[in-house]
Amino acid sequence: MAQAVPAEQKWWSGGKSPFNVEYGKLMMWYFLMSDAFTFGAFLISYGTIRFASNSWPDPNEVFQSFPGLGSGLPLLFVSLMTFILIISSVTMVLAVQAGHAMDKKSVVRNLVLTIIGGIAFLSCQAWEWSHLYHEGAWWGSNPFLNADGTKATTNFSNFFFTITGFHGFHVFSGVVINIIMLIMTLNNVFERKGHYLMIEKAGLYWHFVDLVWVFVFTVFYLV
Amino acid sequence: MHQDNNTEITFHHEYDREASRKEVVKITVILSVITLIELALGFWLYKSPGMSSFMVTLVKGVILILMLAKAFYIVAYFMHLKHELRNMIMTIVVPLLLFVWFIIAFLADGNSYKNLKNTYDPYHKEQSQKKVEKAEHGSKETDTKVGH
Amino acid sequence: MSQEVNLNDQVGAMTTHEVHHDEHHGHHHKETFITKYVFSQDHKMIAKQFLITGIIWAIIGGLFSVMFRLQLGFPNETFPFLENILGKWAAGGKIQPEFYYALTTMHGTVLVFFVLTAGLSGTFSNFLIPLQVGARDMASPFMNMLSYWFFFVASIIMISSLFVQTGPASGGWTVYPPLSALGDASEGSKIGMDLWLIAMALFVVNSLLGSLNYISTILNMRTKGMSMTRMPLTIWALFFTAVLGVLSFPVLLSGFILLLFDRHAGTSFYLSDIFLASTQKALPNEGGSAILYQHLFWFLGHPEVYIIILPTMGLVSDVMSANARKPIFGYMAMVGSMFAIAVLAFLVWAHHMFVTGLNPFLGAFFVLLTLLIAVPSAIKVFNWLTTLWRGNLRFTPGMLFSIGFVSLFISGGLTGIFLGNSTLDIHLHDTYFVIAHFHIVMGVSAFFGMFAGLYHWFPKMYGRYMNNTLAYIHFWITLVGAYLIFWPMHYQGLAGVPRRYLDFSGWESFNQFDGLNRFISIVTIMVFAVQLLFVFNFFYSIFKGRRVTTQNPWGATSLEWTTPINPGHGNWEGEIPEVHRWAYDYGKDGRDFIPQTEPISANESPESKH
Repeated sequence: MAQAVPAEQKWWSGGKSPFNVEYGKLMMWYFLMSDAFTFGAFLISYGTIRFASNSWPDPNEVFQSFPGLGSGLPLLFVSLMTFILIISSVTMVLAVQAGHAMDKKSVVRNLVLTIIGGIAFLSCQAWEWSHLYHEGAWWGSNPFLNADGTKATTNFSNFFFTITGFHGFHVFSGVVINIIMLIMTLNNVFERKGHYLMIEKAGLYWHFVDLVWVFVFTVFYLV
Repeated sequence: MHQDNNTEITFHHEYDREASRKEVVKITVILSVITLIELALGFWLYKSPGMSSFMVTLVKGVILILMLAKAFYIVAYFMHLKHELRNMIMTIVVPLLLFVWFIIAFLADGNSYKNLKNTYDPYHKEQSQKKVEKAEHGSKETDTKVGH
Repeated sequence: MSQEVNLNDQVGAMTTHEVHHDEHHGHHHKETFITKYVFSQDHKMIAKQFLITGIIWAIIGGLFSVMFRLQLGFPNETFPFLENILGKWAAGGKIQPEFYYALTTMHGTVLVFFVLTAGLSGTFSNFLIPLQVGARDMASPFMNMLSYWFFFVASIIMISSLFVQTGPASGGWTVYPPLSALGDASEGSKIGMDLWLIAMALFVVNSLLGSLNYISTILNMRTKGMSMTRMPLTIWALFFTAVLGVLSFPVLLSGFILLLFDRHAGTSFYLSDIFLASTQKALPNEGGSAILYQHLFWFLGHPEVYIIILPTMGLVSDVMSANARKPIFGYMAMVGSMFAIAVLAFLVWAHHMFVTGLNPFLGAFFVLLTLLIAVPSAIKVFNWLTTLWRGNLRFTPGMLFSIGFVSLFISGGLTGIFLGNSTLDIHLHDTYFVIAHFHIVMGVSAFFGMFAGLYHWFPKMYGRYMNNTLAYIHFWITLVGAYLIFWPMHYQGLAGVPRRYLDFSGWESFNQFDGLNRFISIVTIMVFAVQLLFVFNFFYSIFKGRRVTTQNPWGATSLEWTTPINPGHGNWEGEIPEVHRWAYDYGKDGRDFIPQTEPISANESPESKH
């Protein structure tokens, strides 16, 4: 449902925001649009090369290890990563909502949880990367065969490391932003300002990172 | 500076924290369930190697649709877009339609590249159909590395 | 400073009540040289920074074209002075083949990105958006400052690539792989190519920071009464330009990142089946597609040409309307056609790739979508012509350049219809026909729009006029020169003369154009000299030009002319004026013009926007 709008509002007549949001939030949204095109271009390039190849490795053969449990477990580890990111998104929403209610304690608690989630995700990614590296996969090198048993080009690893790397870089920036938000909250910066809108913008960024993972997860691990 | 930022916002919401919290719980459940369904479908694909190519395409299609559903819930509720003014929603959703042609044209041309190459480079086609032995785990395949 | 005294005099004479608004003047703390001229957050100063950097780039980029035109016009002569400037790149006074490619590459890069993107929309978006929508500054002045400084660093890196031992990038301004991906392939593909990519990545950041600011300023910061359909067309044009930039530049960035990996990480995104002549080795790269890069590049590259031309369309509309003393014809049609152009910009990119191995069936859709662009473009042209029709024309330099813009846009646009057809493109691609087409339609005409804007808004920028006599000389020689340079190239192109060739003397079929090439080169040098005259006029007038004595020297309706002659940071003394009408009430109810700030009176004839 859209906002309940006072009936007589002339949103476009100037002197106010036509969307009833401050410019910073607008900028964040349009920045995310832009970033969506960056990721979109990467993923579409991946799709293009896949369509241009006669065969492609089966992700379930590649990603089938879990730390401590050995191999032969497709989809398990990535499920863990996905749920970590979903949960950290939930705690971020709760932080934003706490901000709306000017509930500093809850903001702090949920931000800390979000940061832990982000670091957990990055750790998982680090483990997966190093595991694949030890199997011989890296930029410019791919030990895995195609699904039909033919020799694969290196592009499976090339795209995997580039795109998950770029996503991981976004997660990392998100964690840094959230740490800054946490410090600002603890220093009462937002209490003094009278609003927690900054947290909302950080939240948008964080959810976008989660959103990108939805796509990366699907196209690299599932289909 | 002169910027009077407070004039940008016309009115503030009555904020109902309890309702928002309920919404978050609901969306979390939905996202988790969709993810589980996706994983189940993915596992099914893996476990049935003899599946007809039509079924494979169908299951993959369903997974992609579920992916879009998840994206919708994240953007609409977690990113709160559904609660913004309609015009703002439009400025964000409408430009995303550019992805339609972006994806179709790129993938179609990728496919065409494959077909052209298979047609005019028979050696390439022959090579790409040769089965090879699976390489040993843990050994880095150095011969595929590019030496500059 | 004398200017500030002058400003205060003017303001004092203008408004008497403004003394009471001292509480609004929070910024009256001392501004140092650094905060005022270097790390300035005032949109007007940032605009001037973009402009002057752009002018320097334009001189450099133009000089490159003079150098390679010398080679093309006089392939058998030697020019010892070139060796003095360029050293080994012009050994014996002749431009070396590798450096010839470097010159054309840098000429394209510099003019497309650094002059006609940053120099053009950087200048006018920054300068005009807050002034014309009625805002104190951009939404985020700090980000605006960052945007310029990213551009500055990008410029420094791009310049530095000219001085590395192996020379700057030389694979053409589109830097297609595999040439650009393989350091062994040519001198210009070594470090110069990396510097090029880094500079362009920073350029993308500059564009993004700027564009986000422009969009949110236009949406959120409009003054009371300034509804979207009361905005001058310039603002609409700059708005669409910013949207194009936000959505297309990131795709280029992705393409560049993949290219960097191909160069340095041994990946094969764009590489497959390559035997390198210089090292006599077959490369192991397999599975990539060079066409993928072209798709990614042109997904930006095509919107890019509208990023260049849309701002000038807006500027020209406003300059033309003000100097024809008539409302712009078809305001809503103008906005609608700019919107249509902005949408189509994203749908037609592969028409640059008809002969590169693109699926011909897919190409047919691109032909169709490409030809559709003729519709909004024609609407705009007809509207400009109808605005001129029976107008009370004042041939100011700005007006002349606007009319010149329309002329060039028609001439260049018509050849676009040829090139948009994939069948004709088989013959015409990579010939001088293409060179002629895009130089006229987006190179020279964008420059004309930019000049129109500069002559028109110079009084607002610096509180002085530019010299008219020099401006008229500048206009006529540039217009005639532009047609003399590029018109004959159509014939060369139809005869099959390929672009990017160093020397045609070895080809019997192209020898016939020797005289013509010489002619084109001579005209190029003359036109370049006249541009230096403009640069002289520009800088001379900043300091010595005739002073502007009235607030609104052109009798224009839009908001920027309600500010003091030399507006300070914050633009308006006192309250920001409220807007009551659109920006095109010229010649209405027997009055010469009615400013946007004037309330609609009871017995006024109704607004006619459509």
